[in-house]
Amino acid sequence: MNGTIAKLALAALLGRRRFWLLVAFPVIMIGLTALVAVMAGDDEFGWQMVGLLGYPLVLPLVAILAASSVLGPEVDDGSIVYLLSKPVNRHAVAISKWVVAWVATLVVGAGSVLAAGLVVEPGEQAAAWLVASLVAGTTYSALFLALSAVTRHAVVIGLVFVLIWENLLGSIFSGVAWLSINDWGVRVGHEVSAALDDPANLAWALLASLVVTAGGVFFAGDRLRSFALTGDE
Amino acid sequence: MSTLVLENVSRWFGNVVAVNDVTMTVGPGVTGLLGPNGAGKTTLMAMMSGFLPPSSGTVAIDGTPVWRRTDAYRQIGLVPERELSFGYLTGRAFVRANADLHRLPDAAQATEAILGVVDMVEPAQRRIDTYSKGMRQRIKIAAALVHDPAILLLDEPFNGVDPRQRMHLMDLLRRLADEGRTVLFSSHILEEVERLARHVEVVVSGRHAASGDFGAIRRLMTDRPTRYSITSSDDRALAAALIAQTSVQAVQLRPRGGLDVQVSDLGSFATALPRLTRTQDLTLFELSPSDESLESVFSYLVAR
Amino acid sequence: MSQMSDRTGVIHDLGYRGYAGQRESTAALVRHLFLTGLRHAYGLGRSGRSKVLPFLLLGFSVLPAVIVVGVVTFIDADSLPLSYAAYTSQLQMLTSLFAAAQAPVLFSRDLRHRSIVLYLARPLSAALFALTRWASLAVAILAFALLPILVLYVGGLLAGLDVSEQTPDFLKAVVLQVLLASLLATITGVLASVALRRGFAVVASIVVLIVAVGVVLIVQGVADFEGIAHVGEVAGLFSPWTIHNGLAESWDAGSAIGDLDGAWPAVYVVTALGLVAAGLALLAARFTKVGAR
Repeated sequence: MNGTIAKLALAALLGRRRFWLLVAFPVIMIGLTALVAVMAGDDEFGWQMVGLLGYPLVLPLVAILAASSVLGPEVDDGSIVYLLSKPVNRHAVAISKWVVAWVATLVVGAGSVLAAGLVVEPGEQAAAWLVASLVAGTTYSALFLALSAVTRHAVVIGLVFVLIWENLLGSIFSGVAWLSINDWGVRVGHEVSAALDDPANLAWALLASLVVTAGGVFFAGDRLRSFALTGDE
Repeated sequence: MSTLVLENVSRWFGNVVAVNDVTMTVGPGVTGLLGPNGAGKTTLMAMMSGFLPPSSGTVAIDGTPVWRRTDAYRQIGLVPERELSFGYLTGRAFVRANADLHRLPDAAQATEAILGVVDMVEPAQRRIDTYSKGMRQRIKIAAALVHDPAILLLDEPFNGVDPRQRMHLMDLLRRLADEGRTVLFSSHILEEVERLARHVEVVVSGRHAASGDFGAIRRLMTDRPTRYSITSSDDRALAAALIAQTSVQAVQLRPRGGLDVQVSDLGSFATALPRLTRTQDLTLFELSPSDESLESVFSYLVAR
Repeated sequence: MSQMSDRTGVIHDLGYRGYAGQRESTAALVRHLFLTGLRHAYGLGRSGRSKVLPFLLLGFSVLPAVIVVGVVTFIDADSLPLSYAAYTSQLQMLTSLFAAAQAPVLFSRDLRHRSIVLYLARPLSAALFALTRWASLAVAILAFALLPILVLYVGGLLAGLDVSEQTPDFLKAVVLQVLLASLLATITGVLASVALRRGFAVVASIVVLIVAVGVVLIVQGVADFEGIAHVGEVAGLFSPWTIHNGLAESWDAGSAIGDLDGAWPAVYVVTALGLVAAGLALLAARFTKVGAR
């Protein structure tokens, strides 16, 4: 962990317009959840907002934006050499950047899932969704950081993973749950409230989340260690 | 005092060889890395600064390889050609961040000192995206120098910098070299290198074409024997006139027309030939260097 | 060299000549630009890597159609298990992703790298340029949506389904797809021309296309459940997908929750066309502004 790198990453995240995109749509989602909850008078629809939109779509989208903001543009235009031409451990660089993306994902993403849950009904189920988002948000941010370190197309690949693999195929094939961050989080949340599904084995969900998180951050650091500066293609 | 040593360094990207078997030693003082665009200067710089592994050979500072060794950056200050994308920071904040990343004991003081050296104290409180090209270049140099490195690597530092700023930068680099630092900068402009560096390394198409004292190399490049093939309205008459020239070493008539001429002194041959054809009332149809070797590319580079 | 002692200057005639022959018309210019844009949307004529995503998505969206045809042939069914429009609707994730990911290819790069000024140095107005880009994207999206249902249609007929029954359904679905593709191209195009960083344009498009559809569906569900009049219909106007599905339902082409009756189909069509028109105006204005700088 390196404070200077983290400070710079935070400046890169907050100092630009795109941050407001990061904040804007979770806020809209909370508002819509409130609207739906008031309109319906039945919690069921409110929980749908959380369980079908907030958690599986808004949370990973926030994670993609946060992770690619702290690393993507710098790798993209090569200006990361300014950070890497320093006697700083590459893993410390990756960890510092991840911590910033992680905190942003949890505050904005998991925070908004919690807020939406509280709007519907404060209680066990809201807490369960928070737990699920904490687990999934952590894992997503590490995975997308690793993607950003490898390819310029991290955002699109991340979206393909979330939309096609987790959401589309996940709704057809139950086996996808074994390799779905979304389902791991839900499975951990299930421990708090049975209102959440039980798509996978708990030990597996925890272990897999841990492995992807640690592996993702380590891999990002390793890629930075071998960061090669090439000309403009 | 540190020395950067490249030994049999090659680097290829797929089928393209960017750097081909380069061996060079860069010691204290200013060294210019000269070569046309696309010669492999940036690739060489990247390998010297540990941002690219050589495909074969070694790049080492004082005997230790630089690739994947982050500690090497204690000795290296790198000024990449890349634009700064930290436009949202002030110049001071950027240099300070660099000082902090080096964990300097008194980062604030080091920052102010180096801003003074590059003459950027006054604009340092403005955001970088308001800077001119020359100011950006100086703030990049300040960031590279803040930890007082023994080796300073600059990739095309004078690109797009106006002449006054360029003088300024050259003075700065000369001063740094006088303090015993190893300063290496790349350029594709001969005059730049000529004005700043006594010692030059020349790369052409990825090959290490020449190295040594600038004046000596320049002489070698222009005074070497060169072959030309010439066709004219009367080859035999031209051959007779040419062999009388001191700059011409040999003339051969080709069976199917045309001449092969070997020239020792390029400069005087170039002045003599037009005059000669005019006085002899001949017409030149074609004049082309017939050895497309490294040297002929080279002579082009110098003579252009 | 040394004889040039008298300091005079001359510009030598090296033989360059202006082109005085016949030039192609603006229409031809537009046609070339359109075709290049269409090819680029699928990564054709670009690097190998940029072909991966469009064709991967296309493969995913055709695969189920092939399976359906196989099943229909195998069990000798006399109708398709789902309508053409419903198939398009089921694959909204893939089609949205295709539109979101490929719009920046056509709309961001010229603006970001300012190569737009080179295009506009030709006799082609910024507005026409924007329209042509839009047409390339719209046709690319249409082709993306059309291919799988074409597979369904042709495969179904080969499997012995009734031509007179299938053809009207298929044609209706195609008309709806034209409207849908125009909407998707408009939305993703506008977003990509404003958010020039590819990643952000893609995420913003996904939010508008996929997240919005979820919100609309839930609101419609609530309205339906509670029996609140008109809310569901109004909500449907907020996503191109629910516009498509609503019209498909009212036109008896299948799919969608709740049906549209009375004047609603007309409202839907007008809204869709209005959206497209407004988006095109925005695009034209954006390209004119950036091109003039």
